[in-house]
Amino acid sequence: MKTTTDAAKAVPALREESSKKQKKPLKKFLKDNYTGWLFNAPLAIGLLLFTLIPVGYSLYISFWRTNGINIWEWRWLDNYIRMFTIDREEMLLVLGNTFYYVVVSVPLGLVVSYLLAVLVNSTIVKHVNAYRVLYYLPCMIPAVASALLWTDMMKYTASAESMGILNQMLLALGLPASRWFQSEGPKAIASLFFINLWGTGSGMILWLSAFKSIDKGLYEAADIEGASRFRKFCSITIPMSTPMIFYNLIMSVIGSIQYTGTLMYSTGALPGRGSDGESLYMLGVKIYNTSFKISGAQGYAAALAWFMLAVIAVLTGILFKTSKWVFYGEDDA
Amino acid sequence: MNDGTNIVESTAAGILDAQNRQARRKNQILRVVLYALMSVLAVVLLFPYFYMIVKSLKTADEVDNPYSGFFPAVPQFINYVTVFQTGGYGQGIVWTILIIAFNLIAVPVSATIIAYSFAKLRWKGRSVMFTAMLGTMMLPSAVTQLPLYIIYSKIGFLNTILPFTVPNLFGGGAVYIFLIRQFMRSIPNELENAAKIDGANAFVRYSCIVVPLCQPVLIYVMIQVFLAYWGDYYGPLVYCTAATAPKPLALVLYYFITDNSTGTKTNILMAGAVFMSVIPTILFGIFQKQLIEGVTMGGLKG
Repeated sequence: MKTTTDAAKAVPALREESSKKQKKPLKKFLKDNYTGWLFNAPLAIGLLLFTLIPVGYSLYISFWRTNGINIWEWRWLDNYIRMFTIDREEMLLVLGNTFYYVVVSVPLGLVVSYLLAVLVNSTIVKHVNAYRVLYYLPCMIPAVASALLWTDMMKYTASAESMGILNQMLLALGLPASRWFQSEGPKAIASLFFINLWGTGSGMILWLSAFKSIDKGLYEAADIEGASRFRKFCSITIPMSTPMIFYNLIMSVIGSIQYTGTLMYSTGALPGRGSDGESLYMLGVKIYNTSFKISGAQGYAAALAWFMLAVIAVLTGILFKTSKWVFYGEDDA
Repeated sequence: MNDGTNIVESTAAGILDAQNRQARRKNQILRVVLYALMSVLAVVLLFPYFYMIVKSLKTADEVDNPYSGFFPAVPQFINYVTVFQTGGYGQGIVWTILIIAFNLIAVPVSATIIAYSFAKLRWKGRSVMFTAMLGTMMLPSAVTQLPLYIIYSKIGFLNTILPFTVPNLFGGGAVYIFLIRQFMRSIPNELENAAKIDGANAFVRYSCIVVPLCQPVLIYVMIQVFLAYWGDYYGPLVYCTAATAPKPLALVLYYFITDNSTGTKTNILMAGAVFMSVIPTILFGIFQKQLIEGVTMGGLKG
């Protein structure tokens, strides 16, 4: 008896509640979603404080000549025009170096680490795991320690005896010693490509994980058909790892446009300029210098950062537009 | 009849055997070639590390004298003591440890909370927030570093370790949240549904069911956090410029490279570099499996 009356009471109560809900959509929204937003609050607050506000503020100061503290002169688009007029020569130099770095280091890094991963993914050799660990070890040297180490190894001096060990090796082989990253022109950045080769282990691990997720059945089917190793590599391994190739491609393009590592290899007047004042000078370094080493140029620095963002957006846009070669599995295709 | 089939079988077996032998020999050669190639690569890749260690054990005279040979006459382990008595290296390690200790707690806690909202809760706005979060991965840090510098200067964060700790209370980065979310999605919902019937609210389900199961991915995230702040010189270079500012280990080493006005000898500097590399190496040795497999956990699905 009691239960039925309760139920009878509950029905109109429910109806009342639902009509209330219709009246107050905000309340209903909160009731349905507050747990989700509560858990997500750290992200929402974090994005607001450390991304949205700084991004908006950056756009705002890019229209001023300012030091960020007490000088504020409205300049509208002057900072953006400046890049292509007054500062044109330096921008050409910086962009030339940056694109040279991106265009060589990204494919080189991807290809070398991919080959390394294929090598240690082979089933022919035992103890392959030990080699993986060995190849990854150089990645455990932090960037600063690595810079110190390579600066010492690539030391170039007037007398042959006090040269760094790499030049000693070159001389022992009867080759001329190199100035490495202290050279002028493209050779300086080429030494960075050389140094980067020792960091391919981290890329290798990403590829190995991509290989792991490839369906073993494909290889078994290929074995039954009598496919050669090379054929399996070209027709299964490569196509099936294209999503990872695409992801790594995008991430390394974005990463290397922002490269500031040359801050550590340079001895010029401003950090990053290299010993001849230009050969190691890249966009990320120019933004760092303009932001923190030149007083009153902070508005211009913000404009440069937005220019960098535009470059990244255009490049990733092009990569996404031309991503027909990426294979996302049968169902999605 | 019987004999006939036997002969056929035996010859067929003989041909197969010969083929197998040939294939095996081919494999043998390939194996030797691969071993040689891989070993040479290992030697080349590890040489700089080895060279760094050797040089850190030399005396100051041996470093200066080009004729002293590749190896030190007597390994100078004292260099590792000396380095901590020179130019801020001792304080550097204290600051680095402080920053890392804070982040090792802050990042996993905040990132799992956020990841839980993406992986296990249904709410309006989830996909918008998720896209926004992934969008930050594409945003170059150059855009935010200058405004953050100005904001930090106004709220007194400059020349403290706050710029490397406080932002990590809010998730610590899209990659970590994404990885944990991927991992949480692989945890079956049945476990939580059972708890739900027993009246457990979202917080209880998060802290008592989901987070304990996330241990593998959390170890991966914590190691990555450790490595990131152990080697970070760029952040401190931007935000800790005053002479009295806290200078983490990586920044101390950075100043040694770019402006060694203290005239510290290479052997001592190398000892510092080796110390900076050895700690991550030990960590890698211990958590090698999680580090290599951690990348797999995230995958590219989702």
